[in-house]
Amino acid sequence: MSTQEAKERLDLLQGTLDLLILRTLIFGSQHGQGIARAIQQTSDEEFLVEHGALYPALQRLEERGSISAKWGISSNNRKARFYTLTAAGRKQLVKETAKWKRLAAAIGRILDPARED
Amino acid sequence: MFRRKRKASDFSAEIEAHIQHESERLREQGLSEEDARAAARRAFGNIMQAEERFYESGRQLWWDHLVQDLRFGLRMLERNAGFTVTVILTLALSIGANTAIFSIVNALILKSLPYSHPERMGTIYTQITGPVASDERHKLNGEQWELLRDSVPSLLSAVSSPRTSGINLQANSHVEYVHGGRISAQYFDVLAVQPVIGRNFSEDEDRPHGPKSTILSYRLWRNTFSSHPNILGQPILLKGEPFTVIGVLPEGATTPLNADLYTALQPSREGEGSGTNFESVTRLRDGATWQQADAEINHAWSLRAHRYELKDHPGAQVTYHSVQLQKGQTDSLRPQVLALMLAAGFILLIASANLAGLTLVRMLRRTSEVATRLALGASRWQIQKQFWVENLLLALVGGAVGIGVGFLALRCFLLLLPEHFLPVTGVPLDGRVMGFTLAVSLFTSILFGMLPALAARNVDLRSSMTSHAVAGSGSQRLRQGLIAGEVALTVVLLAASGLLIRTLVHLETLPPGFNSNGVMTGKASLDDRRFHDPEVFRKLLDESIAAMRQIPGVQNAAVGMSLPYERTLNDGVILSDGKEAGQQDQTDVVYVTPGYFGTLQMPLSAGRVLTEADGPSAQRVVVVNEAFARKFYGGTNPVGRYINKDTLIVGEVADVSVSSGLYEGAPLVSEQTMYIPAAQVNPQSLALLHVWFQPSWIVRAAGSVDGLTAQMQRALASVDPNLPFSGFYRMRDLLAKTLATQRVEVALLSAMAALALLLSAVGIFALVSNMVAQRTREIGIRMALGSTVRQAMVQIGRSGAGASVLGLFLGLALCVGALRVMRSVLYGVSVYDVPTIVTVILTLASVTLIATAVPTLRIARIDPAKTLRDE
Repeated sequence: MSTQEAKERLDLLQGTLDLLILRTLIFGSQHGQGIARAIQQTSDEEFLVEHGALYPALQRLEERGSISAKWGISSNNRKARFYTLTAAGRKQLVKETAKWKRLAAAIGRILDPARED
Repeated sequence: MFRRKRKASDFSAEIEAHIQHESERLREQGLSEEDARAAARRAFGNIMQAEERFYESGRQLWWDHLVQDLRFGLRMLERNAGFTVTVILTLALSIGANTAIFSIVNALILKSLPYSHPERMGTIYTQITGPVASDERHKLNGEQWELLRDSVPSLLSAVSSPRTSGINLQANSHVEYVHGGRISAQYFDVLAVQPVIGRNFSEDEDRPHGPKSTILSYRLWRNTFSSHPNILGQPILLKGEPFTVIGVLPEGATTPLNADLYTALQPSREGEGSGTNFESVTRLRDGATWQQADAEINHAWSLRAHRYELKDHPGAQVTYHSVQLQKGQTDSLRPQVLALMLAAGFILLIASANLAGLTLVRMLRRTSEVATRLALGASRWQIQKQFWVENLLLALVGGAVGIGVGFLALRCFLLLLPEHFLPVTGVPLDGRVMGFTLAVSLFTSILFGMLPALAARNVDLRSSMTSHAVAGSGSQRLRQGLIAGEVALTVVLLAASGLLIRTLVHLETLPPGFNSNGVMTGKASLDDRRFHDPEVFRKLLDESIAAMRQIPGVQNAAVGMSLPYERTLNDGVILSDGKEAGQQDQTDVVYVTPGYFGTLQMPLSAGRVLTEADGPSAQRVVVVNEAFARKFYGGTNPVGRYINKDTLIVGEVADVSVSSGLYEGAPLVSEQTMYIPAAQVNPQSLALLHVWFQPSWIVRAAGSVDGLTAQMQRALASVDPNLPFSGFYRMRDLLAKTLATQRVEVALLSAMAALALLLSAVGIFALVSNMVAQRTREIGIRMALGSTVRQAMVQIGRSGAGASVLGLFLGLALCVGALRVMRSVLYGVSVYDVPTIVTVILTLASVTLIATAVPTLRIARIDPAKTLRDE
């Protein structure tokens, strides 16, 4: 397989995935598997998040200070690493959401110009 | 920053937790345990890839590799302790030498003066073009100073005495000898130094015969006046009269004079100001430019009626220009300091050549290790990196030790210097010096690492793993070339230091013109109101000399304004009779008591010496020296001739060496000199002479002079209890003081030449002993086949000796060109001095012989039978 291609696909996902993770954590702290689940469920299973891609993204967000992590015990009594949104993450989420909405609206206008009032 | 925040195992644990959570969820949906786990893994994707990405995302990969290389490098260096110690010592010595010399360069040339906006401070150079061209800092006369002060609005200007003079300060119950600087008003404004209490001199105080006031240095205020808070306005007894304290300088404030206290110069066109006796400092005013200032100076000074520069240099073009004060203060030392920096650079090159040779051998020894690592999949880049890391490690450790060595060397050097030798207050090891040392260390590591690194590129996998043969003849020749190069540089340093040593020996063994053994001298300041009266002055001399003659063991005593080896007063003289009548020139002038010639045992060559009869109201007489007769009377007997209208020459004495005053040139010369009776000194000039000169009391003893100083002090005190001696000197102390520059040059350059020689010897030794080690088998076989030990020794030793001889010739060729620049600092010895060259050749030959012979002695211990068995 070509690594070049894989990298490109990841890059494309990155911004989106980060946004989705931050959005998920707004309801409280959650572990990795829980986040993957939540994204899948709230997007009506539209997104198929490759779970493996989730962790580097979480790692990146943690290093950037958008989220913080702590080992804890999950609801089914297992050890899990819980992620919490930080103040900086909250700000980032607001910004990214606005950006995303503008982007989506712009793309929408381009793809479906008839609907413009 | 580089610390990994999260361990890889923690990341793996998280992934494992995820798989468990996921498979549990899938199991709840009805899948079997096995299927659930497999599905969870599928959903996760590539676990390994995620882990790798996590690992590499840390950016610490290169750091981890570096740490690995460093650890490996340290292990390798530890295993080769001999090599490591040699390299670090070599580096420490050579980098230490460079650090020490550079810190002097830094202090003298690079570091700004410790004043506010030092770049706006300057002094004035006089540029003379014509047959005898020069461009240097001139002192000013009174007229120049007044024009500079009044007609150059672009500058804030001040003048001072060129140096401090010793004066007596009566503090509490005792008299202290202190260094006084005389400065014009605004001197401290030019330096931007404001008194911590009180004020600077006013215009009024700086006028001739103005109020007598003084500004104290912080140190004097604290030590002598116990930081008395109400010192301002108090009179202190200075030079025998009350001076009002008007200010105290801040702690640590320095001036170019660095005096204990300051009095007003009170410059005018008369007296002191009729000659060029003032040193100028200037500060560019806001908004003005140096071009404007220079134009104003040239305009103001070229309108003078009497321009001494034109009198001294008929037909020459004379212009003036401002020069940064820092350059002006250090100009005379710059060539020497830069030459030393060059010598230090040589040391670095020599050390690098040695280290390149050593690391090359080490590299070749490690050929099989390199080959093995290549075979195991290491890239050439990784191998290279490993070597560079090791070199860098060595260079940094060597540099760190070098800073310590440099610090010690610098302390020793500064101890060697006479007081106030350098025109700066300190030679710090500051950030710039540290930066320089770091840069030099890195540069050295590149210099000596390049060769082995290039050699490592050519390691051939197959041949190196199978064969024992190590160094090829190519690397051998390369090392010989390196040795030849370093020997060549060593030859240049040896020859240069040899020439300086010969110069110093020449100067120290010049016929002194008097007998310096058994003489003790003591200086005292007569810059005192009481001694402005010629009668009091004469009485002091007569009575104190009589008292000193009473000291047991003392044969003779006298007083002279200056002594042999010292700087003398320069004054004009007019020849008044015969065909030379009307001729004017400059001469050294010394006032002496009649016993001066007898006490110093100066041989009389014609006429008579001075006597007690040559009193103030008798015929004015002088004794001249042979140089005087040569210069003005073509070597004929000067006795009976008249000078300065009515002064009769009554005697001629032998020349003594003095510190040059009249002409630029050698530090010790025999100049035309006239000795005038102390009793006949012009009363008007007595005060000024004692501002400039502290006369010396001289005693000659039959035996040891060791215990004399206390008795001399008692004898002087019996005549005047308030007159302390400032210091006692033997004649050899005075000689050493005059030749301080030469001594310092010799000490520094010889130390570096010795270091170069040592490094070269180590280089030759390493080359030969390495060859012995490599060729043990070959030698064993040769000897088994009938070769003698001697033949084998000669054959091996030839490599080292050959390189050294080649280097010697290269070095001598270099000397032909390089040593010519030394011409200006050599006296009594030519640049191509046969004894020096012969000594250099012999020194190098014997060192080469030892460095080659010692390692070849090991050949005698080679047992041919054993070597053959090993085969």
